[in-house]
Amino acid sequence: MGGPPMSHEMKFIDPHIHCVSRTTDDYLFMARAGVVAVSEPAFWAGYDRSSASSFADYFRHLMEVEPKRAARYGIDQYCWLCINAKEAEDVALSREVIKLIPPLLDHPLVLGVGEIGLNKNTRNEITVFEEQVEVAAKYNQLILIHTPHLEDKHKGTSIITSILKNDKRIKPERVLIDHCEEHTIRMARDNGFWAGLTIYPVSKITPARGTDILEAFGPEMICVNSASDWGESSPSMLVDTALEFRRRGHSEKELEHIFYGNPCRFFGQSGKWKLKAEA
Amino acid sequence: MEGLKDQNNSGENGYNVHMADAKELLEQQFLEMRWRTLSLAADLDRIGRASRGGEVLKSDPKVVKLRKAFELLMGEGEGRAEKLQMIFSDMTPPPK
Repeated sequence: MGGPPMSHEMKFIDPHIHCVSRTTDDYLFMARAGVVAVSEPAFWAGYDRSSASSFADYFRHLMEVEPKRAARYGIDQYCWLCINAKEAEDVALSREVIKLIPPLLDHPLVLGVGEIGLNKNTRNEITVFEEQVEVAAKYNQLILIHTPHLEDKHKGTSIITSILKNDKRIKPERVLIDHCEEHTIRMARDNGFWAGLTIYPVSKITPARGTDILEAFGPEMICVNSASDWGESSPSMLVDTALEFRRRGHSEKELEHIFYGNPCRFFGQSGKWKLKAEA
Repeated sequence: MEGLKDQNNSGENGYNVHMADAKELLEQQFLEMRWRTLSLAADLDRIGRASRGGEVLKSDPKVVKLRKAFELLMGEGEGRAEKLQMIFSDMTPPPK
């Protein structure tokens, strides 16, 4: 690939990554690539957990274990707590898990409630989503939203944004609607929410399409992430998108604004995030 | 809000380097686009060769959607990616 290189001092933040399912090689890669901080939402483990106590252990992993792992590579690690949309189909279990969350929200590395949202857009998922929005509103927390994938994305994003808009306690600028694509990003941005772009090697947005969206919609209130998890995904997608962005002739200043400054601007609203967006 | 492309084409951001025009972009992308098209053709051939291939290619709802998408690709106008996303989206009403 042609185009100008990136400065070796370029710093990145991956605003959405599931490090619990990644190897130390990935941490090493991120450190070498200039990733200085990550945020890790609570998500589906790849299987349905059998009890709320499994979630209690998972939350401890997010708040205590993973930040220590990340620190060995010079990376600041923050997290979000919730029951994910997929396991939210079990409303009784979800309510047990939701009870665990409020006492943990004061933890210095917990940025808010997330990633809450919808998976198959069912009534049960909507019920649990609304109850977690209630927690976020009551405790004045930032919200990180998971939107469904594939054919369910447009409908799910529409349901989610309607619920949030109708709750006057929710300030849109304190909500990040993640996994936006070409047909849903307007629903997020036009309603004042932050939009997340998830870049994947398969099935989601590619680095080229992600860059197309950044060009079409401009740099404001967009966070680019890898959402790397236990599936086919990679922390390199963040940097690959930055390279594509730079290759097309955009400046390093714009790069910094999107890939470092924007996460700082959104997460900074928590009062816990330490890094500052550069002017 | 102005997109980045507009900002950069305005020439106001002096720190930006050369950005490719349409012809250059096509030159850069053509081989990959050709490869992706061949990939789709081979996918359809493979499905067609399999048991009940003809029937599936003729009437399966997924293939019907793909045909709509191919027609869209050949059409005029902007926003092809967004329109294509809508072809593959569930447009039924939310649950009560």
